[in-house]
Amino acid sequence: MADYDERQSLLGDESDGREADRGPGRPMPAICDPSHLLHRVVVLVFMCFLGFGSYFCYDNPAALQTQVIRDLNLNTKEFMQLYAWYSWPNVVLCFFGGFMIDRVFGIRLGTVIFSLFVCVGQVIFATGAWWNKFWLMEVGRFVFGIGGESLAVAQNTYAVNWFKGKELNLVFGLQLSMARLGSTVNMNIMGSVYSKVADLVGSPGHSALGASLMIAAMTCLFSLICALVLGFLDKRAEKILHKEEGKTGEVVKLTDVKDFPLPLWLIFIICVGYYVAIFPFIGLGQVFFIEKFNFSPAQARAVNSIVYIISAPASPVLGFMVDKTGRNVIWVIIAVVTTLCAHMMLAFTFWNPWIAMSLLGLSYSLLACALWPMVAFVVPEHQLGTAYGFMQSIQNLGLALIAMAAGAILDSRGYLLLEVFFCACVCIALMAVVTLYFVDYLRGGDLNRSAAARAKLQKEAASEAE
Amino acid sequence: MAAVETERIGRVCAAICLLSVCSLCTGHTRDRQVLIELNPGSPSPPPGDLLHARAVGDNDTLHFLFCSQGAPTLLLVHTNTSFSTVKVCLHVDSTTKPSTHEPSDWCSPDVNFLFLSQVNWAQFNDRNHSGGLTVEPESSVLYSTAVVFNRLLEYDDINDTADPTSDLFPPYDLQDFRWSRLNLSGLTALLCGNTAASSNGSLCLQLSLFETEGRGQHWPRLLHTANSSQLRVWLDGVLPRATRSRFLLELQSVGGASPLNRVEVHRSIDDEFTPSIFKVSQWISALNDSSDVLGFVQWKPVAYRQADPALEDAAPCRHSEPRPQSGEAVAAVSGLIRAFYKEPEATGLNGAAGGRRLAARRLFLTTGHRHDGGWFGNSHDPPAAGRDLRLHPEEGGGNGLRANQLMAVFDHVTSLCVSQLGLRRLLNMFLPDVTHCKMTSCL
Repeated sequence: MADYDERQSLLGDESDGREADRGPGRPMPAICDPSHLLHRVVVLVFMCFLGFGSYFCYDNPAALQTQVIRDLNLNTKEFMQLYAWYSWPNVVLCFFGGFMIDRVFGIRLGTVIFSLFVCVGQVIFATGAWWNKFWLMEVGRFVFGIGGESLAVAQNTYAVNWFKGKELNLVFGLQLSMARLGSTVNMNIMGSVYSKVADLVGSPGHSALGASLMIAAMTCLFSLICALVLGFLDKRAEKILHKEEGKTGEVVKLTDVKDFPLPLWLIFIICVGYYVAIFPFIGLGQVFFIEKFNFSPAQARAVNSIVYIISAPASPVLGFMVDKTGRNVIWVIIAVVTTLCAHMMLAFTFWNPWIAMSLLGLSYSLLACALWPMVAFVVPEHQLGTAYGFMQSIQNLGLALIAMAAGAILDSRGYLLLEVFFCACVCIALMAVVTLYFVDYLRGGDLNRSAAARAKLQKEAASEAE
Repeated sequence: MAAVETERIGRVCAAICLLSVCSLCTGHTRDRQVLIELNPGSPSPPPGDLLHARAVGDNDTLHFLFCSQGAPTLLLVHTNTSFSTVKVCLHVDSTTKPSTHEPSDWCSPDVNFLFLSQVNWAQFNDRNHSGGLTVEPESSVLYSTAVVFNRLLEYDDINDTADPTSDLFPPYDLQDFRWSRLNLSGLTALLCGNTAASSNGSLCLQLSLFETEGRGQHWPRLLHTANSSQLRVWLDGVLPRATRSRFLLELQSVGGASPLNRVEVHRSIDDEFTPSIFKVSQWISALNDSSDVLGFVQWKPVAYRQADPALEDAAPCRHSEPRPQSGEAVAAVSGLIRAFYKEPEATGLNGAAGGRRLAARRLFLTTGHRHDGGWFGNSHDPPAAGRDLRLHPEEGGGNGLRANQLMAVFDHVTSLCVSQLGLRRLLNMFLPDVTHCKMTSCL
């Protein structure tokens, strides 16, 4: 899914203190007092579970890959369409998510609407499987995609609204961890859910698949309930504390694209080249581990989910490290090289894939922590919304296209060549980041400064301004 | 026997590809010239067709003999001269299958030494007598081995474990099948047959011979040289007898001095030619654990459920450990084996060419089934090494005396490549449709 969470967590607190915090008029229990920490922890819980459903259901196809392919009689290319159709709406929507929340719906209604899209999309997806209609499943994934990415934007907006200040990074980290937890739980339990359902239904088949996906849709329903509760609590807090409704603060102007500097385009290339070697690989990985490394299906799913499991705790830690040391470009280089090594290990050796997948998880977290904040260093603030929107848009476009290409390559030439293809994508990212290093170095730019140097510069700039 | 498994009710197709002899040379394998003849010199169509192909090299010859009399058999004989021929004696009498011949003994004389073969059909058709087929000159025979397709078994895999411990249905004895005439086209021969009881479905074997190195056209796209042949076996439209039927195909290997005796599985990182399959299995005849391989049967552990398969039509294929088998039992089902390999007590071979004592092994190939996302049902099992399929016990067969010539043949290898079986998977269990599935295996 989009790494909106990662980049926001590292941008830190962006919003100013806008609320006029006048406090409650009459005393109420701490848990009901919107300005009290305990109440905000309750709100935090609902906020974290807001995204759980969509992350859980996003990787349902990967967790049930062989079942989906067998029960619906697909080939791998068609299977990957399920991921492609998730990404297609987000090619366009990334630009408009912030706009819709700010201007059209408002945060509360917007969150409920996007949660509804997620829920309805997953239900349509499950129904398509139940009736053995693949086109309906694709429609379901499309609707799911409309809601999924925008819901992440809404979730972050809520977080900024309720937790700006020192707690914001922690909240973003927690939200990201919950997202990864959802993916992990999905990878590890959907297989057994399917088996149980298949026993109930009588035999494996598209009916069992549809029923399993409908059970997964319950997590989306749960997220929808969280959205409603959050909306209620937010409205109540607004009434009590007289604060403004949260806004994303993003401004998207498409004409800004022509002003993007070269380092930003290189960052876009790194983003696309890197992520297309992660998510489609996880989508297709289960059968790879079963066939090449003789894993059982449960083991294969577990090793497939290790990337998410590791990134849940590693993201905050690595984010902290990158914040403290700076030198983002070097960290990106390290992350890309590590990913390349991991893919080469998987392709060309029989070494235990746990090693390679753990490396993949660490480098994936590291890249997220180091790459997304770089955008803020190369574009002025008023273009930030457009830049991030564009970055997510082409990331989704790349994922959609490469997901289908990966399926086609696998169907015709097998896993070795697929891994070679992924290595090539990572090499493109590597070339881009090395180019970025030199471009930044020659221009005396800001991307690779250490944190101390950056702080010094800021202090000098502030004192000059006085 | 090789086993083919079916997933659902419906027609079942399976294909096995059998490779024949391959010469393992140090370096590039030489090309050969392949000459094929069918029922050479037979006065009238015999009860079972005999295909004789000579792959002539510079100073050696590989004889491939493919016969449908009894169980389909592929026999490979390697001689050290370019001028060896095959002589067949056939005896037809009323105790064998119905035929159109008068009982007679008829051996055609060697009219021309350079003719491809002279067949004495009288003795050949008499399954009670051995020695009906000889390779002349007998002293030139370096190595011989044969693979017999004996039976097709079926069982109901209720627990979906791909483990044939449940009761087996009455087997299809391939020796009792009604075989069609061998259909020759180019360097390929096709043989199809169905059970005498019903005409539902058929089992087909397609033998391909090669003059040069190359790779098969169809999955699993096994590599072949001029010293190999490929055999594809498939089931076409065979109705399974249970909802979760799986099939097993029994292969019996017969060799004079050293039949194929152990199976090796080679892993590779490369699945370019057979997507998602990283292993190759070889049933080899090796001399006392040495690394010199005399002959092998090679396959990839995958079966395909369609004639023109896609990646998701693949089903895993397992093999059992080769077990000793009574040579006499094998000779009883296959006319070619009976004809070529003499009775053990009748010859007392010692240093004779090729060693035609009868020693046999059998192997089961089982195709698996993807369930719950994995090959092996609910638990992870290694490929069926050491798996005992619990059929009726075999007596141990002796290895026979090793011919002196074999020791010199350290750089020649006979290879038999067996391809895996393909299965037809039903989309709708109530509407079976007939689809032709083929499976090939060649490395």
